Amino acid sequence: MHPAAVVAAACAAGLDAVAVCDHNSAANVAATVRAGAAAGLPVLAGMEIASEEEVHVIGLLPGAEAAERLQGRVYAALPGRNDPEAFGPQVVVSEGGEVLGFEERLLIGATTWDLGRVVRAVHDEDGLAIAAHVDRERFGLVGQLGFVPPGLALDALEVSGRTPLPEARRRFGAHGLPILTSSDAHDPRAVGCAVTLMLLREPSFPEVRLALAGREGRAVLGGGRPMEDLSLHILDVAQNGLEAGATSLEVDLTEDPADDTLVVEIGDNGRGMTQAAADAARDPFVTSRTTRRVGLGLSLLEAASRAAGGELAIESAPGRGTRVRASFQRSHVDRAPLGDLEATVLALVAGNPGVNVRFRHAVGGRAYEVESARIVEETGGRSVQSPEGLSLLRRLVRQGEAMVNEAVVQGVR
Amino acid sequence: MTVAELAGRLGGTVVTAAADTGREVCGGYASDLLSDVIANAREGDAWVTLQRHVNVVAVAQLKALAAVVLVNGRQPEPDTVARANEERIPIVSTALTAFDAVGALYEAGIRGRGAS
Repeated sequence: MHPAAVVAAACAAGLDAVAVCDHNSAANVAATVRAGAAAGLPVLAGMEIASEEEVHVIGLLPGAEAAERLQGRVYAALPGRNDPEAFGPQVVVSEGGEVLGFEERLLIGATTWDLGRVVRAVHDEDGLAIAAHVDRERFGLVGQLGFVPPGLALDALEVSGRTPLPEARRRFGAHGLPILTSSDAHDPRAVGCAVTLMLLREPSFPEVRLALAGREGRAVLGGGRPMEDLSLHILDVAQNGLEAGATSLEVDLTEDPADDTLVVEIGDNGRGMTQAAADAARDPFVTSRTTRRVGLGLSLLEAASRAAGGELAIESAPGRGTRVRASFQRSHVDRAPLGDLEATVLALVAGNPGVNVRFRHAVGGRAYEVESARIVEETGGRSVQSPEGLSLLRRLVRQGEAMVNEAVVQGVR
Repeated sequence: MTVAELAGRLGGTVVTAAADTGREVCGGYASDLLSDVIANAREGDAWVTLQRHVNVVAVAQLKALAAVVLVNGRQPEPDTVARANEERIPIVSTALTAFDAVGALYEAGIRGRGAS
């Protein structure tokens, strides 16, 4: 992919940072980092290294120089020559897209390094070693080697966008490693199709390292597919309210299996808007936000609701906040999945310590509720961003989700 | 057929000194995806693979396989040998490719027993 195309796609998708991880090469990292800098987008240096067991490992590195040093060692352990007719040309380009040369090594192949050596090589450059797409049978750690080898010093596990993070946490959570997801984009159109949410001071490599280690209040929150998951639409719409100066935010998710309905309500006490502005807000290219070029939240939520036999209503007035209500036929074949609600709640509560966020999820007769003020109270006045606050919040959401979803299973029986 | 006889048929060597080479081989399975072996290999199978990671031993142990056959002349990693000796899992290294190794075992009367 052309560096400028990657950067443009990442900006259009509203990403705060993107990592470039070519197979067994970092030849295009420096140019993409420069293209990102020109557009104000942090680009993390990386490489996807294939071990001799054909396990793919993402190495995230402190910078382009470290990536290039690692590339030197990887190339020395990489047999085979590329056949451009079979696998396509392997182009090295500048940030402006000029072709600087062709890489002749077989980058699609595997190195002669065993998995432990790959992880050590990444760590030698102060990088982070992440087992890639562990949910996939081919080239994933668990598919290739049956299970995560004990003692392997990984920093995180990654799942493809195909596996929702709540499911990934059930399947792979026992290792105690943070679980990430990403687009694994091989085409600019796929950039941003799956994202990981992290609590960081700024999008940078040192901050990501702290988040993977769960240190100093940084954390991996979860993630999912922004174009599909209702949880990420909710996050985006709620974020609109926060940027409109809200100090109080309420999200209600009400599922009624008996009536076959699912209703999302998001209310804030922000600036609010006139009816004309509220109507215009459904247009994907209208937004008051400055952090992203497009605010797709409302239009995506409306499209998702219509696709599932529901509708979206916006109630707002200047000075009186905004209330968005989206309904769905719960069992509709096109009803979007809820996705990672835990990440949404964590991002809203911990990402906005100055705002009182209340989230309630009801399924049939069961419901749970979490609220910023109560987290602060129950942790003896600590911030919602403190390790104690975050872990309490996470525990309450996990317990709550397990409890309301158990009701669903019983309802089916 | 015992594991020692199997090694002879493949012109291979048993690279694990502590392993029980008198073990009876009841069938065969070939795969390089360990998750697939966990799902489909059967007790007493000889497992033909080119994987030499230490996890191979754990999978052979878990499925009570008779032996691991490492093809293409590949030698197991040192920690794999150490673990295999501990668990008494025989590893046979042969210069044959997977195709030829499976062919030779088939000719000698070893059969696959279907996916589980």
